[in-house]
Amino acid sequence: MGPEDCEAESLESFFPTDEDIDKWMSSAFDMAREALENGEVPVGCLMVYKDEVVGKGRNEVNETKNATRHAEMVAVDQVLDWCRCSGLDVRSVCERTVLYVTVEPCIMCAAALRLINLPVVVYGCRNERFGGCGSVLDVSSAHLPQTGTTFKCVSGHRAEEAVEMLKTFYKQENPNGHLNSHLFFFLSFSLLPFPSVTFCLFLFFT
Amino acid sequence: MEPQMKRWKGSVYDADSWVAYPVLSDEQSQDVELIEAFAAPIVNKKETSRLVRELNSLYPLNGFQHIKRVRACKEKGSPHPLEVLVCLISDVPDMKEVSIDSLLPSDGVKPDGLGEPFVVKVPARPPLTRPQFELASQHWPTSFHEDKLVTVALRGELFTPTQKATMHMYMMSALTAAKAGKELGMEAVGAVVVDPEMERIVAVGHDCRGDHPLHHAVMVCIDLVARSQGSGCFCFDSYPACRFTPLTANTSQNVSDSDAGSRPYICTGYDLYVTREPCVMCAMALVHSRIGRVFYGTASLDGALGTKYKIHSQKDLNHRFEVYKGVLSKPCEDLNISDDHDKKDSGQ
Repeated sequence: MGPEDCEAESLESFFPTDEDIDKWMSSAFDMAREALENGEVPVGCLMVYKDEVVGKGRNEVNETKNATRHAEMVAVDQVLDWCRCSGLDVRSVCERTVLYVTVEPCIMCAAALRLINLPVVVYGCRNERFGGCGSVLDVSSAHLPQTGTTFKCVSGHRAEEAVEMLKTFYKQENPNGHLNSHLFFFLSFSLLPFPSVTFCLFLFFT
Repeated sequence: MEPQMKRWKGSVYDADSWVAYPVLSDEQSQDVELIEAFAAPIVNKKETSRLVRELNSLYPLNGFQHIKRVRACKEKGSPHPLEVLVCLISDVPDMKEVSIDSLLPSDGVKPDGLGEPFVVKVPARPPLTRPQFELASQHWPTSFHEDKLVTVALRGELFTPTQKATMHMYMMSALTAAKAGKELGMEAVGAVVVDPEMERIVAVGHDCRGDHPLHHAVMVCIDLVARSQGSGCFCFDSYPACRFTPLTANTSQNVSDSDAGSRPYICTGYDLYVTREPCVMCAMALVHSRIGRVFYGTASLDGALGTKYKIHSQKDLNHRFEVYKGVLSKPCEDLNISDDHDKKDSGQ
């Protein structure tokens, strides 16, 4: 079928430009900073389709008591709602949507992004404890024919800054106070060049 | 053991018709890896204890404490009754001509009582399970600190008939939910979350991905558990077979003291029964939710609790849990088969 071939070809070349990356990652970092200022996990995440933000999210684990409510999962739900409101087909939108997130998606989120056929993820720092794009498992490119499609990653964009925000968030928390999931969530991230960060944080957690 | 030997008679819906086997980590289930070493016959038995002592200090088997130094000679009628492990081949990497004299420096071990060395294969890692121990011992005597529970579990005999009857009942609920989901055009997968302490079903869910690509049965159940505690973020009211039991004062009395409502990981201590092996997303969601144990009926192609990954035993992750497969395997497999047929029929 002709139109499908065309579609496949254009998907091959579908990739954000450096300009796109700078612009949208800057928004993601603004979101993360805003979260930090409000005492929330400083992770920013947005989904962009045709130069329009169609989903954004922050971690909602505590208020929903649902440990799967990571920022990416919240953003995916917004994309689905957006498609419904716009009367557009979910798959054809997702296939041309890019996720910009300040921290590498976890294993669960990486699998979820495959399941919705997202083609590209741009992220800041690595997620040493849970990362699903290579840090713990490489779900993004693994051979999993029943689990949607693989996606490409652009990593390391302003990584130090992402880690710095997480560190700041941690310092605001009282280590002797309640060890809630926010804190835990935070402890799960680090940047490879600073292994000592992970280590120190891990000590506090345990 | 008699009960397990029984062939299942009559109905498939019989707790004797299935066996739950543990899904062990790679380390516990992998083949026995072997490395090469030099052994030598002890031609004078009286020298044995001296040889062992001196070899232990010359070539200590660091990191290989599971390997026994001496073995009784395998072949009957052998001129020497014992053989001793001299060293690993990696201990003497640059040796060109191997003889007992070249292996034993003159100031170290007196070669009295030893014959000429020969190459043997010894297990590289301590055996973790009885099957690994039995394989390892075929090569060289190996010590084994047996975890009796693992041995019993690998024989499929971990659960008592009473426990199996309870597990059977929970998986039947998951099967019923799976069929209800299928009626609505979803994939035929059902799941049940159970509080094993209270012997109480907390949530029942089925696949809803026809309406939301991420609403697999396990994800539905995790949110229903959150709803059972007054939170959650989805409404599954349009699926009558997806339901939860609200956590009341009565049911929460066993939950430790004050903080039942503020526990951040709400599946702590709960068991999940699911008709087929969870995918990567669902398996990791169970890690995040701190599930207690998972029981599934049948494996799935991209499964992450045994088939493609063993996320429940992944060393780097912060939560690990036990997984058992094979609970009501036959009816759970049949769900998948009918699902596949439907897919083919609709040209997918």
